Amino acid sequence: MIDLLLTRYNYYATMLLLGIGLYMLVESENLVKKVIGMNIFQTGIFLFFISLAYVDGASAPIVDKGSEVGQHVSPLPHVLILTAIVVGVALTAVALALVIRIYAEYGTLNETTIKELDHD
Amino acid sequence: MTDIRPLLAILVSAVAIPLILALRSRPNLREGVTLVVALAKFAIVASLVPGVLEGEEYVFSFGEFAAGIEFAFRADALGVLFASLASLLWIVTSLYSIGYMRGLDEHAQTRYFASFAASLATVMGVAFASNLLTLFVFYELLTVATYPLVTHDETDEARAAGRKYLAYTFGGGIAVLGGTALVFWLTGGLAGGTTSFAHGGIDGLATADPLWARAAFVLLAGGFGVKAGLMPVHSWLPDAMVAPTPVSGLLHAVAVVKSGVFGVARVVLDVYGTDGVAEIGMGLPLAAIAAFTLVAASIIALRQDNLKRRLAFSTVSQLSYIVLGLALLEGNALIGGLLHIPAHAFMKLTLFFCAGAIHVETHTDDISDMAGIGRRMPLTMAAFAVAAAGMAGIPLVAGFVSKWYLVIGALEGEYLLFAAALLVSGVLNIAYFWPIVYQAFFESPEGHDEKPLVSGPLGGRFASGDDSPARTDGGVEEGDDTDEEIPDPNHVDHLGKFHEDHEHHGGPPEGGWDERGWRGGESTWFMLGPIMATATGSLLLGIVPSTAVFLQIVTRVVENLPGVVL
Amino acid sequence: MIEHAPVLLVVVPIVAASLPIVASIVTDRAGWPIAVLGLAVHTGLAGWLLVHVHTEGVVSTVLAGFEAPYGIELYVDGLSAVVVALVGVTSFGLLAYARKAQPRSNAFYAQYLLLVAGLTGMTVTGDVFNLYVFLEITGLAAYGLVATGRKGSSAVAALKYLLLGTIGASLYLLGVGYLLAATGTLNMEDLAEKIPEMAGYDSTLIVTAFGLIVGGLAVKVALFPVHTWQPDAYSRSPDTVSALISALVSTVSAYALARLLLSVFTVEFLTEVQLAQWGLLAVASISIVAGSALAVSQSDVQRMLAYSSVSQFGLVVAGFAIATPLAVVGATVHLIGHAIMKGGLFAATGIVRRKTGATTVSEYAGLGSRVPLGAGGFAVLAVAMVGVPPAVGFVGKWYIVIGAVEAEIWPVVAVVLASTLLTLAYFARLIERLYFAEGEPIETATESEQPLADGSGEVSFGMKAVVVAAAVLTVALAAAVPIYEPTLTETLPQLL
Repeated sequence: MIDLLLTRYNYYATMLLLGIGLYMLVESENLVKKVIGMNIFQTGIFLFFISLAYVDGASAPIVDKGSEVGQHVSPLPHVLILTAIVVGVALTAVALALVIRIYAEYGTLNETTIKELDHD
Repeated sequence: MTDIRPLLAILVSAVAIPLILALRSRPNLREGVTLVVALAKFAIVASLVPGVLEGEEYVFSFGEFAAGIEFAFRADALGVLFASLASLLWIVTSLYSIGYMRGLDEHAQTRYFASFAASLATVMGVAFASNLLTLFVFYELLTVATYPLVTHDETDEARAAGRKYLAYTFGGGIAVLGGTALVFWLTGGLAGGTTSFAHGGIDGLATADPLWARAAFVLLAGGFGVKAGLMPVHSWLPDAMVAPTPVSGLLHAVAVVKSGVFGVARVVLDVYGTDGVAEIGMGLPLAAIAAFTLVAASIIALRQDNLKRRLAFSTVSQLSYIVLGLALLEGNALIGGLLHIPAHAFMKLTLFFCAGAIHVETHTDDISDMAGIGRRMPLTMAAFAVAAAGMAGIPLVAGFVSKWYLVIGALEGEYLLFAAALLVSGVLNIAYFWPIVYQAFFESPEGHDEKPLVSGPLGGRFASGDDSPARTDGGVEEGDDTDEEIPDPNHVDHLGKFHEDHEHHGGPPEGGWDERGWRGGESTWFMLGPIMATATGSLLLGIVPSTAVFLQIVTRVVENLPGVVL
Repeated sequence: MIEHAPVLLVVVPIVAASLPIVASIVTDRAGWPIAVLGLAVHTGLAGWLLVHVHTEGVVSTVLAGFEAPYGIELYVDGLSAVVVALVGVTSFGLLAYARKAQPRSNAFYAQYLLLVAGLTGMTVTGDVFNLYVFLEITGLAAYGLVATGRKGSSAVAALKYLLLGTIGASLYLLGVGYLLAATGTLNMEDLAEKIPEMAGYDSTLIVTAFGLIVGGLAVKVALFPVHTWQPDAYSRSPDTVSALISALVSTVSAYALARLLLSVFTVEFLTEVQLAQWGLLAVASISIVAGSALAVSQSDVQRMLAYSSVSQFGLVVAGFAIATPLAVVGATVHLIGHAIMKGGLFAATGIVRRKTGATTVSEYAGLGSRVPLGAGGFAVLAVAMVGVPPAVGFVGKWYIVIGAVEAEIWPVVAVVLASTLLTLAYFARLIERLYFAEGEPIETATESEQPLADGSGEVSFGMKAVVVAAAVLTVALAAAVPIYEPTLTETLPQLL
């Protein structure tokens, strides 16, 4: 039990990042900060995935010419996360575009103010 | 044998719906379509009668509908009984509707006639369904088709009544659906489960777990019981009286409520079978509820001043005659109960038609305003008298025959309490119908008796006549003569609800009713004709019940049931 | 030949999506014709695929020759085929609606086609990570489409949708990560075998993965309580978009949930980990009740329809969670039927709004005579949604009820039966208002929406046709169910 708590650093880091991200997403009033929170949330997940791929004492997943196929870190999660990062970039881009438009229409990025303006 | 006629009976008025809607601007043509279609429908159903009397059954199937259950029709004796009754009375009601709607210059007549056509199509579907699921389909469609008729007036009351109607009937529908699912599961589910009607009961149910069989019965009987006006789920019916009178008459005395009773009949006779019901011990509870409704509704009817509301409670009471007959599981009781379906239909329709004619001609809705109206509307009130007599069970009118069988059946099964309930109800029927007839012919607007049952507050008043409140020491309170506002029950609106300052718009004109004579000068023949027709029908059913085909069909239904001894 | 169909189904809309952007060099009106062409091909392929699956069974393709489970596999069985057909037909049919309704730019149609590509991809894939990618593509296209509304509130609604949707998709991704950690594979068929072998159904890892995946997809399906993005998104987007998204996006997300439930975790998981099944049923039942309760209290009609979706998807998820063959058939039928009914309802509200400016329940009073087609279509679809037979809304419910009775899960039986009354509660007052109440002139008519220069305020034939078609289909599809039933039960072998 104790060694479980002491050795799984990647889980702590992930939980921390997920928590911070989610908190920012929910609590911040500024829309840009919400988007940042969303990014942090996603980053936590990405880091978790990649840390899963780690094999103790293994080398990077690149096969050199002539070398044998030895122990490598699993490349599959890396590939998946590359895809996911791209998706995250696209999402952030769309989100920021929306934020710009909201600013142009409402003149503010404060969530509460926008809600009040909407209800008029 | 496979025959398309059951399907045709449904389609003929379904097809009429778009026609009627399209003829919005040509009212005479539109009404003509309704009449032609009604006659055609009756002709189709009537053509099935001879074969059915011989024991034939006409089947038509569309194939599988859901989970192995077919969407199929089967015209057997019970179905033909209901269908022939409804289609015959639709002809009469359509004629009456013409007189009524035009007499009142009602709005939205196209919607009215189209909804009527839709309702009758679904009634045929209910009658001819060959399994519980198909029955359910048309049962729900019946609610949808009749809703525009209930809310026709588009007043707040009408809308409220419509909402109540939907809530109650869809609630009942849910119970029926649950019961159907249970039956399907109990008879084997995916592996051979069935909900098809089988005379004497579905085989799988007899061997099923009695607890679940009872649960399914309660759901089915309760769900159908909503439309059949069993207490305590009957209260949609008096409120639905806000609809135009032909609607109250045909639908809420003949088609919709009889479809509920029909559903109960199917459940008792063709899903569980009389033996099955006896085995799970559900016969007695159902009979007890029916008997209670019988008596309680009659008592409530005594206090109603609005004529249609009184008739509504009378309907609730009379429907329970049918359910009681079914629940007694006895040969003669079954005949009595089933015969009461057409008997009550003719009589109640007559009564409603009379009420409607009175409304159109004199704008009178309350009984207390109807003293001496026999002068103004003699034929109408005569028909009313005939039908009322039948309701009470007076011989020579239809109600007597069915009641006879019912009482005999109850006595044969040694259910003395139920026989007593039937007889008490007969007396109560006289108690609430006789004053109407008496005051119409033998009293005048100036000199009519007070009706303490209607106008008195609950709990009674002092016999001394003044309204001083009681004191425990027997003395009369001094000084304070302003008695509390005892609500005067005479001032009720046509839903029977109390209003302080309600104005009466009905009642006799100045100088009393004018005499119209017995030659039909009192109203249009569009209305008088149907009234005479249904009254005559009631008499025919009472005098020559066997020749008027209905008794034969009923006997055939009961003969078809294995295990029932006549 | 047929193996190319799943790939083409995804590729054709993607290629077609790029064309309007290219064409905008020349003209700004190229979007609609390109979309029509692309989606016509798409629908044809989808129909062919459905017929093929119905007659000959499962279609499976691997991409780029990399064999499963290392490569990405596309796997189409009875469930996927019918959903693909739905996506194709609905998106194609709504183009008739979109021609006159706003908006009409090239970019709009590019996003429209991308959405179809994403939805199709989600449906035909046989790989859980591939599902994530297409889930996000769908999401991005949907966020963009919601934002095409003219007002600022559309952008706010789109942003809210984006933020919540991303959380959902990320949770799903986390769940996939757990599955990967447990079994080392991402292929759905392979996972189904490896989960019991390598980790066991009741291991914490697998149960957590289940929870995360269900939680993530629940956001996209908009079950209670993570549905909060839906009312805003549906009511503030243009009418075409509301119809499209309400019909398809949550539907395909629910399909994804079903696919993972039945083909990856399988029925054995649900029987072994009873908590999972009961938890899912509880969430679904609460959705049914809460969605209806919230719908009754709404005054804006489109928001009411959004909450209605929450309730109806509860029904669908309940059917899938019961996981007997009949219940799954019922859930699928209701999924498809609901898509058509909800899309049609939104289309009808669009017609009503364009003709009269009415958006709230009280403004709908008396419109039965002013907008006969819109009101009539609305009434028919609403009655079908309540569950009046013989429309498709009833058939799905009936199967689910029987399935629940068979599985003897009585609370769910009661809730599903009660859902009829609950649905009636909010639809009945609207129908009553339409036909049995008097209307007053609507003041907001002058403020609502755009000047007449671009044709708004008119209701085109295409718009009416869409509503009529939806109403007709709801009844016609009910007849098709018995034909479809064996397709489903035979191609989802885990159920038998």
